[in-house]
Amino acid sequence: MAETIDRTEDREWIEGRKKEARERAAWGTTGRHFVLIVVGLTMLMPFTWMVLSSFKSLAEVENINPLPSTWHPENYIKVFEQIPFAKYYFNSVFVAGWVTFLQTLTSAMAAYAFARVQWRGRDTVFKLYLATLMIPGVVTMIPNYALVVKLHFLDSYAGLVVPAAFSAFGTFLLRQFMLTIPLALDEAARIDGASHWQVFWNVVMPLARPGVITLVIFTFMGNYGSFFWPLVIIKSEYLRTLPIGMLFFDSSYGKQTNLIMAASVMNIIPLVILFVCTQRFIVKGIVLGAVKG
Amino acid sequence: MKTVYAGALVVLLALSALAHQLTPRREVGDRLLLTWTSDDNPARREQIALFNREHPQYELCLDPNNVGMEKVIVQSLAGVGPDLFDCYSYAQLTAYVKAGVAWDVTDLYRRKGMKIEDIWPVVYPNFIYEGKVYGHPTNAATDAIWFNRKLFDKYGVPYPAGDWTWEQFIEVAKRLTVKDSQGRYECFGFLGNRSEWFPMIRQFGGRLFTEDGTRCALNSPEAIQGIQLLQDLIYKYQVMPNPNQESAMAAAGGWGTGTITLFGGGKGAMAHGGRWWLCLLRDPAYKDLELGVTEFPHGPRKVFWGYGRATLVNALSPYRRQAFDFIRFEHERPYNELINNQADALAPVIKFCSGQAFLLNPEYPKEDFNQAWYDVMEYGEPMESSPFVDGQVVQRIIDIQMDLVRTNAKSAAEACRDAAKKIGQEIQKCLEQDPKLKARWERLTAGDR
Amino acid sequence: MKRKWADFIAAMLFLLPNISGFLVFTAGPVIFSLVVSFSNWNLQHTIPFRWVGLKNYLELWHTEDFWLYTINTVYLMLALPACIIGSLILAMLLNQRIRGTVVYRTLYYLPSFTSGVALLILWKALYNPEFGPINALLNWVLNDAHLNGLFQAVLGHPLKPPEWLLSTHNLLGVGTEHVQVAGKNWGVGARDAIMLMGIWMGIGGGNMLLYLAGLSNIPQDLYDAASVDGAGKWAVFRHVTWPSLAPTTFFIVVMSFIGGLQGGFEQARVMTNGGPAATTTTLSFYIYNKAFQEFQIGYASSVSWVLFIVIFAVTIVNWRLGGKQVAE
Repeated sequence: MAETIDRTEDREWIEGRKKEARERAAWGTTGRHFVLIVVGLTMLMPFTWMVLSSFKSLAEVENINPLPSTWHPENYIKVFEQIPFAKYYFNSVFVAGWVTFLQTLTSAMAAYAFARVQWRGRDTVFKLYLATLMIPGVVTMIPNYALVVKLHFLDSYAGLVVPAAFSAFGTFLLRQFMLTIPLALDEAARIDGASHWQVFWNVVMPLARPGVITLVIFTFMGNYGSFFWPLVIIKSEYLRTLPIGMLFFDSSYGKQTNLIMAASVMNIIPLVILFVCTQRFIVKGIVLGAVKG
Repeated sequence: MKTVYAGALVVLLALSALAHQLTPRREVGDRLLLTWTSDDNPARREQIALFNREHPQYELCLDPNNVGMEKVIVQSLAGVGPDLFDCYSYAQLTAYVKAGVAWDVTDLYRRKGMKIEDIWPVVYPNFIYEGKVYGHPTNAATDAIWFNRKLFDKYGVPYPAGDWTWEQFIEVAKRLTVKDSQGRYECFGFLGNRSEWFPMIRQFGGRLFTEDGTRCALNSPEAIQGIQLLQDLIYKYQVMPNPNQESAMAAAGGWGTGTITLFGGGKGAMAHGGRWWLCLLRDPAYKDLELGVTEFPHGPRKVFWGYGRATLVNALSPYRRQAFDFIRFEHERPYNELINNQADALAPVIKFCSGQAFLLNPEYPKEDFNQAWYDVMEYGEPMESSPFVDGQVVQRIIDIQMDLVRTNAKSAAEACRDAAKKIGQEIQKCLEQDPKLKARWERLTAGDR
Repeated sequence: MKRKWADFIAAMLFLLPNISGFLVFTAGPVIFSLVVSFSNWNLQHTIPFRWVGLKNYLELWHTEDFWLYTINTVYLMLALPACIIGSLILAMLLNQRIRGTVVYRTLYYLPSFTSGVALLILWKALYNPEFGPINALLNWVLNDAHLNGLFQAVLGHPLKPPEWLLSTHNLLGVGTEHVQVAGKNWGVGARDAIMLMGIWMGIGGGNMLLYLAGLSNIPQDLYDAASVDGAGKWAVFRHVTWPSLAPTTFFIVVMSFIGGLQGGFEQARVMTNGGPAATTTTLSFYIYNKAFQEFQIGYASSVSWVLFIVIFAVTIVNWRLGGKQVAE
């Protein structure tokens, strides 16, 4: 007859080891919190200084005391008076909006062609796309600039939007996303007589929505902060986007640090709000881009 | 999804319409907008305001953010250049003409009755290239000696009366170079501004280039004599500070501005500079300064340093004909009188630099030396240039060699020899790049071979 | 058969907008920039256009400035190990079920997410040697809190707060005009300032998130097995955590190298304009100046291709070294 082996002692031993491990970890928790808080403060302090300085009068900015003695919220209004800040905001959002729209649309359509349709040479062309991802931006920007000069797109909205509206990265990201959607759905719709265009809009895109949203967020943010290309393209003041506007504000209006800080706060706040609202997508997007890459 | 995209498209199109509305137009009301790319300063703004008052059909505005020869050229080629821009040297004019960006206005000059002879010759290289006219000078200048009357009084030296040789100059300067009890220099006799070398080589008969521009002529005994005298001022006669002594005394940096600040601060009894120094020295901070002007000392020949700035019209601008009205404005009385009043060097047209209004500006009664500024213009000679090499490259080579001379790291002979050699190499590089130029050079130098 | 053809047409139509843009603005320019790097094009029509072969490449090889700027670029990459290890540590700290993880994560990611011109301008103000809070704090610590008394005793002279962005000194003693290391160059200066700022910006960023994802993928069984064996914390890390994270680390290292070699442009343009004395001019800033200030298109293209080749080579090397480890 088989005896039932008494495992109780074993189980107790395991539980005991686990308890010990947890106790060791518990001691670590206070230390852990301490380090986390210190790091958090280090991350936060420059932002705090920025916000507090934006409310100070100019003379007070140099004081080591971080708090302003009197609060000057009118600094924010002054920024709009000194430079066409509202125009800069408009330009940044306008250009980023167009670029995001064009980029996501063209990338989604291209991703569809790469992921959902079989055609000869498909994978070779896609590898070509991938290969260009490693090329440093400067290599392509120089000829792009020469092209824009020749086409007389310099110093125009078109020059800001068109070269940025095409992205190999967006195509890559959405293709990976689309590959996770079962092809059977496509097939079913095609059998029902749907054209590729209809399949694209009615079947694939809704399912690829998380990927598209991620791409929208990244593209918008990326273009909102885009610095190099607007810097070389823009000549006239009316076209300046926020980064360029900030650069000129900082260098040409004397050392009005308090106003510059107010402008910086207004520059950063949309990003913070965007981040807090869409954290999940951003985190997922980064991981997705890395893991599949 | 489709609705989202369609909606986004509608919004973007609406914003595009808005953006189009907000784009600044060339015609503002009934005025035409013209842009002038130049540096920003109160004098410039006054000049522009005067033009706008005299010509109500225009709204001329300043663009100080895109100054720079390369930028102006590329932006003009891209169709977004300014209507007017500044040219600071013959080298720049050459580049602008070769790029096709400078507009040939020789015919317009003739038609509007504007004569080149009315303009100070010293500025010709800034706007006349191979016989054709491309714009108009904004001002003209020849450097002379500023002297500090109070320092002369302090050390009991009579004011200089001009037309003096180097020997006489050095005598005076020595009496004005004074050390204090601890051996530190209280005052130097003479402060230079980095451009003395050119008039000095010319005074002894030397040249930068041969007459046809095919070779650098710095390596001649005459030129070396001039440079050696410059070095001697610092190290043999010790009436001029060397760079270390200068920075020890200096408050601010930057070409020219440093010398002006030192002079204004009473660290030098005499300084080599132009009338435009008044733009800075009229500042209330310098109200105790008693200024005098006299000629730059001369050697066997009388040659002084001449220069200027010109405004050119963009050949690719759709409004170049209208922009030419500003060029004409620069040739007329109101503008010229304004330049003289602002003391931004001298007005470009000769005949407006005389008369009571010019000699004495009632706002600045202490400035009784304007006649001297007029008189020295006759002897001002602008920097030489050669069609076979880029002037900016030459300037850089010479600046480096002059720095070595001033720090006593090289003798004048060595520096001249090295500069001539390097400039010769640059000429060869330039010839290699342009076969037509090379053919021309070989024709001119055929006699030497 | 007909369906295949129809498919092909459809695919082409879908692809058309993207690929035409791709060819015009990405693929085309790559070829174009390689071709033009063998010429003397300066975009201004002031010198006749000519093919000059390898002259641009030889010129940059012999220009000492190019090597100086390469050193500047590499110098700023010295922060990478600190950044990566820091991200790992932060990720490990956050990986436990403690209260407020999301808050901490948001806070740490903030500098990375908001990075841009505004943040660079902020740091430029922070680093101001006379009026900025960093030096104000250092001054207080050294002078008012009398810490300088200690330094005086040990070093023989009190410490002064560094000049940050105005100083050409640096922690490695690299000189300014020639490629050399000398004691007189020692100090804390512009390069270090930018490096430190880079650590602040990078430590809580994407790398941390990647490590968090990687950590969460490690099966609990491995940990349990280790703790049952009585392994201490360090041993657990060495034998369980680190090897499991190897693919993530590999990816992060490769990406960091690629980014680092191209970097430094915004910092140079916004904070120091490449100075003081060209110490913060990285290769990308050099290319910017040559291409968009002097419009030496041919020469700038050759420098950018050299940069590309270096990045490519470094990536291959990393792949060889790291790929093997990951496979194990």
